Amino acid sequence: MLYDLRRADARVKWLVTCLLATLGLGYLFGSWMVGLFSGFTPQSVAVTFASPEMHMAMPPASTMVMEHPMTLQEFGAHDHYTVDRNLLVQDTHVHVPIYGIIAAALSLVVLGLDLARRWGYALITLLFAAPWLDFAGMWLTKLVSSGFAVLTVAGGWAMGFAYTIVTGVALWQMWRPTPGGVP
Amino acid sequence: MRQLLASAVAAALLHISPTVILVKRPDAVQQLLPGADRFLARELHLSAHDAHRLHEVVDWSPEDGVLTFFVGKDGGKDVGTLEFVRVDTPHGPLEVAVGFTPERTVRGVIVTKATVESKPWVLAALQAGLTEHYRGLKLADAPGGAAAIKNRIADLPAYMAQEVDKGVARALVAYRDFYR
Repeated sequence: MLYDLRRADARVKWLVTCLLATLGLGYLFGSWMVGLFSGFTPQSVAVTFASPEMHMAMPPASTMVMEHPMTLQEFGAHDHYTVDRNLLVQDTHVHVPIYGIIAAALSLVVLGLDLARRWGYALITLLFAAPWLDFAGMWLTKLVSSGFAVLTVAGGWAMGFAYTIVTGVALWQMWRPTPGGVP
Repeated sequence: MRQLLASAVAAALLHISPTVILVKRPDAVQQLLPGADRFLARELHLSAHDAHRLHEVVDWSPEDGVLTFFVGKDGGKDVGTLEFVRVDTPHGPLEVAVGFTPERTVRGVIVTKATVESKPWVLAALQAGLTEHYRGLKLADAPGGAAAIKNRIADLPAYMAQEVDKGVARALVAYRDFYR
């Protein structure tokens, strides 16, 4: 293939390096934000996205009143950052296209690497599958069961893993010193 | 390519600003239901008719159609009632806690949640004394906190004050029409 980052012009290598660094910075702050507002365990992700258990699918024919005692500590449970269905619709609408663009950009880097075809396919698939897993987990946690929060955690780690592999291999192949030659 | 760029710009503009807690709910409960040692959550699962009526009056539907009032008791004595109302703004959601006395007037209002983006504007409005203007409101009154501080704050804090007014108006109507 003509497109080979190892032999590319130094300016192209520099562009790819800057892109990877910028995405990496974004991922670092993304992780920080996840830590602040949701957490990294399936339990904390479930609290963020799961719907309240009292939800009724259809409104009752006449307004129903239910009363139950509460402790002061139970009020604190609502202080965890939560994402309701409307916010998740907006979140999905905003994030999925951007995740697609990031996955496409990283896939273009993968295409320029010296990798076996099957590794290329695997990395590109992982780059696109990770955000799908992330959002599938959020929606399934909201609509089906809290147990699906594990998919969101897996999707997040998969995104970080895929980025690390692509960046590591790309930087190595582009900038490793070659005996007697210009990188 | 143009579509890609447009998507990226739209995503950047619409990015949701995460929620920040200004006052923890248990602290708000202690301030708005002072002395209460027992709490009850009274959940009203609204019928379609009642939900529509509420929506018509204050342009608001509680999440999942459930209106929740928190009642505070001190022994057998009624201390008051509290509502947490969410207001969705273009800068992310706000949460406003509105406490009522047993005499059915507003005891106090606390903004419990804002967003990373709206927090400084909300704080500016609060520092200008926004919530003092809600104290003692009767159920038929219209909240006018935003108008009262308008000349002392910038445009964005004034806008957030109007959103807080909106939350208080929702709580007043919900309490007046549904809390028995």
